[in-house]
Amino acid sequence: MKRSFGQSLSLYGGLLLIALLIVLPFWWVISGSIKLPREIIQRVPTMIPESFTLQHFEKLLQASDFPVYLINSIIVASFSMAFTVLLALPAAYAFFRMEFPGRNALYRTILLAYAFPGVVVLIPLYGLFAKVGLIDSPVALVIVNVAFALPFSIWMMRSFLATIPREIEEAAVVDGAPTTTILVRILMPLIAPGIASVAIFAFISSWTEYLFASVLIVSDARRTIPVGFAGIIGQYQIDWGLLLAGATAAIIPVVILFALVGRWFVSGLTDGAVK
Amino acid sequence: MAGLSLQKVKKRFGETEVIGGVDLDVKDGEFVVFVGPSGCGKSTLLRMIAGLETTSDGRIEIGGRDVTGEDPAKRGIAMVFQTYALYPHMTVATNMGFPLEMAKRPKEEIDRKVAEAAKILHLEPYLQRKPRELSGGQRQRVAIGRAIVRQPGVFLFDEPLSNLDAELRVQMRIEIARLHQELGTTMIYVTHDQVEAMTLASRIVVLRAGRIEQVGAPLELYENPDNSFVAGFIGSPRMNFVPVTVVGVEGGKAMVAAPKLGLTGMAVATRGAAPKLGTAVNLGIRPEHFVAADGATSALSGKVTLVERLGGVTYAHAQLPEGGTITVESRDARSFNAGDGARFGLDGSRAFLFDQDGKRI
Repeated sequence: MKRSFGQSLSLYGGLLLIALLIVLPFWWVISGSIKLPREIIQRVPTMIPESFTLQHFEKLLQASDFPVYLINSIIVASFSMAFTVLLALPAAYAFFRMEFPGRNALYRTILLAYAFPGVVVLIPLYGLFAKVGLIDSPVALVIVNVAFALPFSIWMMRSFLATIPREIEEAAVVDGAPTTTILVRILMPLIAPGIASVAIFAFISSWTEYLFASVLIVSDARRTIPVGFAGIIGQYQIDWGLLLAGATAAIIPVVILFALVGRWFVSGLTDGAVK
Repeated sequence: MAGLSLQKVKKRFGETEVIGGVDLDVKDGEFVVFVGPSGCGKSTLLRMIAGLETTSDGRIEIGGRDVTGEDPAKRGIAMVFQTYALYPHMTVATNMGFPLEMAKRPKEEIDRKVAEAAKILHLEPYLQRKPRELSGGQRQRVAIGRAIVRQPGVFLFDEPLSNLDAELRVQMRIEIARLHQELGTTMIYVTHDQVEAMTLASRIVVLRAGRIEQVGAPLELYENPDNSFVAGFIGSPRMNFVPVTVVGVEGGKAMVAAPKLGLTGMAVATRGAAPKLGTAVNLGIRPEHFVAADGATSALSGKVTLVERLGGVTYAHAQLPEGGTITVESRDARSFNAGDGARFGLDGSRAFLFDQDGKRI
């Protein structure tokens, strides 16, 4: 179908507007992180930096607790991501392929759990973790993050599994492959884009999680970036340069993750399998 | 190599019985083709033999061993799927060697058997390629290769040529026939294509609604069908059925007539009990068994509605006076013209009679 010039113009115009809405805040944060403090707080904001400095980054890395927060966040997010993927994959496969009593009811219940806002279970979870001695432990955050990311991850992984033709699994069954082999050797490579999506979702959910991190973690040395950042916003003054440099640095691990798993987002991976 | 025996095999999905007590013995080395219309249960039956579907009732034996409750991998079978079902992320060699790898065979043995199968199937140049880099025919050959390396007792083919274009289908059909000759392994083949069934099978099993209608050699089914379903299913274009009345019975033959159709009387051989005079029956006559009206002792009258000239043969579709239609094959491309009235000569020795339930008389 060929678009008219007017249609193309409005389409590209619309896309540009959406792109600007998404890109501009990022640009403001990143460009602000290299501006001198007086330019940052200037009455008329500058889109193109007129000054250049790395002083905020120096302060961030040398004079703030940011490196500690960063490491804490990386540890919590990485473990949350790994456990989410490790649990979502077999769970999704079980819900997708295996026959067991109450399968559908259980599946719906798990999805229902996703509908509850975290704040509803905050107090009971705090009590629970306090009883088992997990308050102020990153383990508690990993458990919470995995628990909250799992329902959606299972749903997403199940959708990816549904795209694999059943005959491929049946061929593997006839070839004598046990269920775990089918999952690891046949299905996992085929749903790599799904695994990558779930991994990114789990990582970012954990990376940006604030509520539980602010309640379950007490000591400053164990804070993650979102909570640690909140401390940078002081009662009487805000160090905007430091905050923007921190926000910029906080994006980097996520960008690296995308770069690492991006190669798995290969379309047409099952080409040639059937037909 | 192994024979196969199905004993009162049933399959139910909830309340619905899709396979209703099938009994079948397949000898070692036979090529048996399951044919039937869509939904007749042929693929389900094959999947039950493979162990991909559970058996609700009855017993399946492969090589004399009861495998009814066995896992697919332990049944001594290999299956080729309609959709090839190759592992897309593995090379041709890894695909073919996968069953042996699962059986924990030594690497040298896997390499040797894959090489042997690749040689048989002319796949040697493609061993390091991925399935997406192959043509449809090559992919199907890889799927067959994966089955060959296991050296199964029974090969199961589930409509393996359905996804190929017409030319490739003919090539692969010949290849599968050659493979059967070469390996001599028992093969069970499911298809809805009766040309495949007729050309490949030692015996054909015609299925309808989960039951066997008839089992026999291809020509036996063609020449001696047990019922109108088999008679109509085997042969292309399908057999014509014309309502007639029994007007006389003598010495294993019934004289039938349909005056309104221009058929005053024709003797047709019967088998079993002679039909009663005045019984309404169906006369079955294949399109290729019509003869020239001139000189024929019996004929049907009708009006030609459509003529399909294929070069070698011509098919005339005609409307009968009482509403039915028939298809007539002719070697003479100019013998019929659309819109003309015509008489179609009959040969009683090539005709069949069926009762109202479709059973051969």
